[in-house]
This record gives sequence, C-alpha cells and structure tokens, in this order.
Amino acid sequence: MISLLLAIAVGSLFASGTYLILRRGQIKLILGLALLSHGVNLLLFGSGRLVEGRPPIFLNKADYAETITSSLPADPLPQALILTAIVISFGITAFVIVLVHRRHTVTQTDYVHGEFVPLLREGDPFDFSESTDTDQYDWLAYEVDEVYDTDDLRTSIPPPPPSEQDESTAMEEDQYRWP
Amino acid sequence: MALSANLLAVPVAAPLLTAALILLFARWGGRTLIRHQIALTTLALCINLAVAALLFQATAGQGERFVLQLGAWEAPFGITVYGDGLSATLLLLTALVALAVYPFAVATIDYHRARMGFHPLYLFLLTGVNGAFLAGDLFNLYVFFEVLLMASFVLLTVGAQPAQTNSGIRYVVLNLLASTVFLVAAGIAYGTLGTLNMAQIAERLPLASPAVRTVFAGLLLVGFGSKAAIFPLFFWLPASYHTPPPAVTALFGGLLTKVGVYTLFRSFTLFFPELLLTWQPALLTIAGATMLVGALGALAQPGLRRVLSFHIISHVGFMLMGLGVALSGNSLAIGFGLGAAIIYLCHHMIIKTALIMAGGAVELYMGSDRLASIGGLVTRQPLLAFLFFMAAISLAGVPPFSGFVSKLSLLQITLDTRHWFVSGVSIFASLLTMINMMRLWRESFWGDYNRPSRVPSRILQSGARQQLMLTPVAVLVLLSLILGIWGEPALRLSMQVAHQALDRQAYIEAVSPAGYISTPSTKRPIGLSDPVAPNSPAKLPGSTSTTLLVSR
Repeated sequence: MISLLLAIAVGSLFASGTYLILRRGQIKLILGLALLSHGVNLLLFGSGRLVEGRPPIFLNKADYAETITSSLPADPLPQALILTAIVISFGITAFVIVLVHRRHTVTQTDYVHGEFVPLLREGDPFDFSESTDTDQYDWLAYEVDEVYDTDDLRTSIPPPPPSEQDESTAMEEDQYRWP
Repeated sequence: MALSANLLAVPVAAPLLTAALILLFARWGGRTLIRHQIALTTLALCINLAVAALLFQATAGQGERFVLQLGAWEAPFGITVYGDGLSATLLLLTALVALAVYPFAVATIDYHRARMGFHPLYLFLLTGVNGAFLAGDLFNLYVFFEVLLMASFVLLTVGAQPAQTNSGIRYVVLNLLASTVFLVAAGIAYGTLGTLNMAQIAERLPLASPAVRTVFAGLLLVGFGSKAAIFPLFFWLPASYHTPPPAVTALFGGLLTKVGVYTLFRSFTLFFPELLLTWQPALLTIAGATMLVGALGALAQPGLRRVLSFHIISHVGFMLMGLGVALSGNSLAIGFGLGAAIIYLCHHMIIKTALIMAGGAVELYMGSDRLASIGGLVTRQPLLAFLFFMAAISLAGVPPFSGFVSKLSLLQITLDTRHWFVSGVSIFASLLTMINMMRLWRESFWGDYNRPSRVPSRILQSGARQQLMLTPVAVLVLLSLILGIWGEPALRLSMQVAHQALDRQAYIEAVSPAGYISTPSTKRPIGLSDPVAPNSPAKLPGSTSTTLLVSR
C-alpha cells in the first residue's frame, strides 16, 4: 500500500517537474528542477526497504536474531544517499536562481527560448548577417589586464589605483560594475 | 617499481586541496595575488600530470590494477577508488589537456574573470573529471559528476555576458536532467540489487531479471549518453560551447563529453557485456546518426567555435561506433573495437583541444568568430595558420597524424564485422569533416582582411601572450603527430587497455577480494591484486617499457 502511494508520488512529481521544465518561464524552470530532484529523492527513499517499526541497528544479537526471523531490519543507507542528494540539489538550485536573476538583469527577459528562435521570427534562419555580432562580442575578454603582460609593456600603463595596492581596503573594493 | 594504491587519491586530492587553498586567500589583494594563484594552479596541474603518468605506466604498461578502499573499509561498505588502464589513460590525457589549456587560459582570461575565481574553478573541474574516472561505485560517480557539472556551470557563466547567461540556462537544465536520470538509475540499482558498488553490481546483475537489466542499461545509456552528447540528446552542447571565453571552450571540448564516453565504456563493458551484442544494432544506429548529425550540423554553422563544437558531437559518434563493436574481434584480437575506440578517444582529446585553442586565437585576433566577417590572417599570423592547418587535417584524418591511425583502426574493425552501412556513414562523416576543416581554414586565413579588429593592439603585440597562446597548440599538434607516426605501439597499448577493461572477473576480484561480508582477519594487501596478465594471445613486446606518448 505504502509502496503504491510512493510510486504515485514519484510519478506525479516527475510528471509535473517535466511539465514545468518544458514551459517557457524561468521561474517555472526553477520549480520544475526542484520538483524533479524531490522525485528522485523519494525514489531513492523507496529503494530501501519500506518496513515499519524496525530499527536499523541492533545492540545485542538476541534482538537481531528475533527480528530477522519475521522480517528484515530497516535500511539506513538510502537516507544517507538522500541527504547527499538534497545537499547537491540545494546548491544547484541556489546557483540556478542566481543565474536566472543575473540573466533577467542582463537581458531584461524572463523568456527562455531556443538559440535560433529570434532568427526564425525575422525570416530567413540562415541569414547570419552582422545583426547579432555585437551581442556576441565579449568585451570583457578584450579588456587589457596588465597582470599578465610583460614588464616592458607595463610602462605605458598607469599604476593601479590605491585601493588595489592596499590589502586592507582591497577587500572592500568592489566598484567594478557588471553589465 | 611497485606503486602504492594510495597514489590513486592524488589526482582528486591535489587539485581539490590547491583550489581550497586558493579560495582561502582569493578575496585578498589585487592583481599580485592572481600571480600566486597561477603559480599554485600550475603546480597542482604538474603534480597531477606526474601522478597520472606514473599510474598509466603501471596500469596500461604493466597490466596492474589499483584499488584503494578509503579508510580501509572493505569493498561493499566503504568508498572504492579503482584505477585500471582505461582510467589511467583518461587520467593522463586529462592531465595533459588541462596543463596544455592552462597557459592559453592565463593569456586570455581577463582580470575580472580571474578575480571571480577562474583559477580555483579550473581545478575544481579537474577534480570532478578525475574523480569520475576513478570512482568505484555509482553514487560517488554521481557526486563527482555533480562536482564537475557545478564547476562547469560557473566556468560557463562567469562574466555574465548576455549570450553566456542565455546558453548557461540551456546547459544547466539539460545537464541536470541527465544527472537526474543517472540518479534514478542508481536508485533502481540499489533497490533491486542492494548495492551501489560497481564490482558488486557487475557480480549480481546476471542474477537479476532481464527487465531490471534492460531498464538499468537504458537509464544509464540515456544519462551517460546525454553527457557524452549522443544523437538525440546532444542539444546542450552546440547551444552553449560558443559563448564562454575560448579557453573555457577548449577545456570543455577536451574533457567534458569524454567523461560521458568513459562512463559509457565502463558501464557497458563491466555491467552488461551481453547487451553490447543484443543492442548492437541500436548502438550502431545511434552512432551513425550522431556522426552524421554532427558533421551536417557543422556544415550549416556560421561561426568558428560553433563548427568545432558540432564536430565534437560527430566524433563522439565514432567512439560510440567503437563501443558498438567493442566485443568483436578480427584476425588480430578480440576486443579490437574497444581498443580502436580508446585510441580514437586519445586522438580526439588531444587534437580537439588544440583546434579549439587555435580557433580561439583566431577569434581573439579578429574580435569575432563569425566566419563571414573574418579572414586574411595567414599573412599576419603565419605560425597560427600553420598550426591550425595541421590540427585541422589531423582531425580530418590525413595520414601522418593520429587521426589517420584511429580512424583506420575503427574502420577496419567495423568493416571486418560487416557493418557496411555504419562504416559508410563514418566515411561520409569524415569527408564532411574534411570539407568543414577546409572551409574553416579558407574563411579565417585566406581572403581579404576587411575588418578592423576590436582587440586592443597592445594584446596583439605582446610577445609573451602570443607564446603562451601558441606553444600549447604546437605541443598538442606535435603529440598528435607522434601518436600518428608511432601508431602501432600505441594501438598495441590501447589493445592491452581494452583487454584489461573487458576482463570483468578480474575487476570483481580486485575490488572485493574476500567476497561480501568480509572479516577483518583477512590480511591481504589492499589494492594490489596479483598482476594478471591480460588475456591477449601473447605478452606484447615493447609495451611495458614506455608510456604511450613518448614511446621509443
């Protein structure tokens, strides 16, 4: 009975998670990933034995021998596995939330679309004109950073601002503005 | 020389501890501290390479197997770390690729990305990849997958350019789905077989019902296959690989899909070798479709790195073809298919990294990777043009290079086992690869230089930067040439590795020598099982002395 309930719960979690991932909104994406990880955790929980009222650890052999005749003891391992999986999915969910937030800030959109969807909407999907060239241009990569350059090149570069020379204030300097 | 099995911990521990050490001090100081980070990272990469070379020499060269039971907890209960020839080959190649990409990364990663933790992330990625190659049970494999995924997520999106965040979403979601499928497979394995240790799973799977075996194999194929970017599951790769800085793309292209390919090799040879025969038509169909779709997709791409990332998919198809015929032998040896796939894997890791680095250099010089708007670089960067050309024809499979040896051996075994259709598809895909490579070279190096570079000229004039960017490419191309010229010893060595990987019984015995409830009185030296000679016809001469890449 309980295993049937568990199976239904796992199935419905997977179904709703998949449905939410297939939607276009970013928030639904996050919720879908969370539901999927819950589904897997429940599945791992069910992979141990579903027994009632059996301790996993016995302190004396008589109890163990008595219990083992009627049915098997509980299995503590799936809980350790679930704990690890929960921690991992927690970290990943946090990362995805930050990524979605950053994406919203950067692109001002909540809409997750395929790579060539804007091109298809404009018309010819194979018309790779210069239109998106500026979007792909990664200006961060070409900023001159004098750390790695040789010394003879550094003569023309002004010395770094005092905030970067001083170690105590350098921790607070975070004036770099992300796009 | 007898090596301790404790050495297996080093490829995981050295990058991890160094990255942790760097992170402790990462927020202090300004630009000087990044130099210290670079020095520490280089040190960790060198240690990793040295240990991987030692392990490779002992396992692939002398046929040993190393098992490390962490904390001396015996096999089914503790954490098992297992290293044999296949693991060590991939460890060595990973260490080489990581060390080769690093100077390029130092030269091209900007200060802001370095400050956001690029260098420790590089090491975390290496930790995850090495751990996945060494993991001896399914759950640790999952954990290491997550470690490398997490590092790759951050490496892909650090900098937060609009294109990067767009591609980051796709990459993250599809890879998390693949991890979920894999975790479901692990849960099913624990629920039905009662163990997560890979040796014990291999021991108990023949007793399980065919339904369990099929479901387990199917889930593993989907999970690992989508990490390896096989045919219907590859969409995360071309959607994301062209957006991060070129150094990150080179690292990803060299390492990430190969973890999926390695786990496919390992799981199919260890868990269900019989499925390699019954599922052979399906595997070969997927392989052919992967090759064809990758090559055809590359033909339609407008950008340099987009073309190269589609070619990664195409070459994964070749490796999968090798797995499909893994058990079959020809006149030379049983297991020739797996050996050919392994040497193809080595070739691909080396030359794809070199090619993406060269393409990244082109992109940096031109300020764009759009093929329509670049060109004419051959007069201004003759060395880069030469290296790119060499790497391109090696990828296409022209004789003096390693591409020829690996493609020839794969084709030989496929034709010997009379899979005419898939071998025809592979030849067609090779032809398309050749066309694509020529297109890339023509578009980016020939023609008029009609567009001013947006890169500040100081970067282009810096001699140190140019050396840092081009030397690793030259070294990798040279390695490919060596692997191509001394193709026969390399092929013999990879045959040995394949035999070792196909020997399931030895794996099971090496991991759990005392059977499953083990008593503490069994005083066996943990790890070193007696060096079983590979079941090749004869002990091959000349194979025990040197490593793969510096043979003779």
